[in-house]
Amino acid sequence: MQALRTAATGMAAQQMNVEVISNNIANMNTIAFKRQRAEFQDLLYQTFEAAGSQSSDQGTIVPTGVQVGGGVKAGAVYRVSTQGSLTRTDNQYDLAIDGRGYFQVLMPSGETAYTRAGNLAVSDQGQLVTQDGYTVQPAITIPGDAVSVSISKSGQVEVTQAGQTNPSVVGVLELATFVNEGGLNAIGGNLLKETAASGSPTSGTPGSVGIGTLVQGYTEASNVDAVAEITALIVAQRAYEMNSKVISTADSMLATANQVKS
Amino acid sequence: MDNALYVGLSRQLVLRREMDIIANNIANLDTNGFKVESLKQKTDPASPARTFGGPKPVKFVSADGVNRDFSQGVLVKTGATLDLAIEGQGFFQVQGTNGARFTRDGRFTTDPTGKLVSQGGLPVLDDSGGEIIIDTEKGQVSIGQDGSMSQGNERIGKVGMFTFANAGVLEKAGDNLYRNTSNLTPEKAEAANLRQGHLESSNVKPIIEISRMVEVSRAYETTSKMIDSGADLSRRAIERLGRVQ
Repeated sequence: MQALRTAATGMAAQQMNVEVISNNIANMNTIAFKRQRAEFQDLLYQTFEAAGSQSSDQGTIVPTGVQVGGGVKAGAVYRVSTQGSLTRTDNQYDLAIDGRGYFQVLMPSGETAYTRAGNLAVSDQGQLVTQDGYTVQPAITIPGDAVSVSISKSGQVEVTQAGQTNPSVVGVLELATFVNEGGLNAIGGNLLKETAASGSPTSGTPGSVGIGTLVQGYTEASNVDAVAEITALIVAQRAYEMNSKVISTADSMLATANQVKS
Repeated sequence: MDNALYVGLSRQLVLRREMDIIANNIANLDTNGFKVESLKQKTDPASPARTFGGPKPVKFVSADGVNRDFSQGVLVKTGATLDLAIEGQGFFQVQGTNGARFTRDGRFTTDPTGKLVSQGGLPVLDDSGGEIIIDTEKGQVSIGQDGSMSQGNERIGKVGMFTFANAGVLEKAGDNLYRNTSNLTPEKAEAANLRQGHLESSNVKPIIEISRMVEVSRAYETTSKMIDSGADLSRRAIERLGRVQ
């Protein structure tokens, strides 16, 4: 019976949905985390009677055919790249991106990864690094005797060194943008990688056309809405139950068939 | 006598198919733009049965087609720029590998070249059947209720919404797509409104599906009982008539 297999695809899809939702809830307080959504698509349909086929010699046609679908599949799990709210931290190395764009991070493997988590720090060599110690590109070195660091909206890093009154510019941060942000591949550690689907990055200074601005002393909160996630979780659980109900009903129909006296 | 068995069987076959359709509806409870289906049934007259009191009509049950309920699904706000939902009758048109396909699932995105594509990667067509290119550098895309897209002050196209005089010509092709099975040309959906940042959820009503499922399951049992008692009758007839006096 097709209904058994159809309900099984429904249960598998809802299980995946719950996994995605639980990952969102787990990352509710992860800096710059973008919530994900599982999206479903119906499976192929089996046509028993095609619409428009002839139903008599007089040329009458079947107005609507008989098509039975095979269930559902998770078509895509995609990231909703809406802006998270900015949280004030007053830490001079915390940077939030207001608008589009990603920080470029040099991985130990030599590849470039992208992140919106701007909770940066300074390494022992004075370089601006992420919390994992990966350098932010283009590399910016903060002198050891810097008293204060100020990073402008357009990414200009200025430091005031001990004994000096005027700040000096030590570098300019750049942000990368992608045509299709949803195509980026998450690799964990708040990092994303470029794929064929995302297109190649275009880097530029913050605040230029199509690129967001930097806000110093703030971090971007995750865009997970707890209430929405919990509601989605309830819907997913009920849908799962309903599919299992289909399985038990189909099973009882098969049992009925088996009980016919021979 | 045997007719009761076959009429019962024809009913059971239809019930099984109906169960398959209900299972598909429930599996797609959470599929964007999914439209609920139900099975239409008809009685198929067969040649009359010869019985003791003269010919008696025999009618089988058969499937007559699938009813697709195109009523509006609930719009869910997602906030994503390229999530589009149609309010009212209408479909988005996408360019499939084997011709145009229609969909109510407006979960769109851009490909690496900036082309507006469906989640399956098929180009979404504008109201004149051309592809839509978005230059992401130019800032936020805003899409009006009639489908016209603009970035800043610049108009960049119009998302096409099409409708059919008879939606029955559409056939489901999987992946939330519909195929036009006739040579009926789609018309522009003037009455439909586009909602940016929303998705249309499936219009399956769980309670109705579950109660229909209970009905189907009980009807199946009843028919099975009927077949059983038919078989009982013949068995008793054989026992009684075959008794040698």
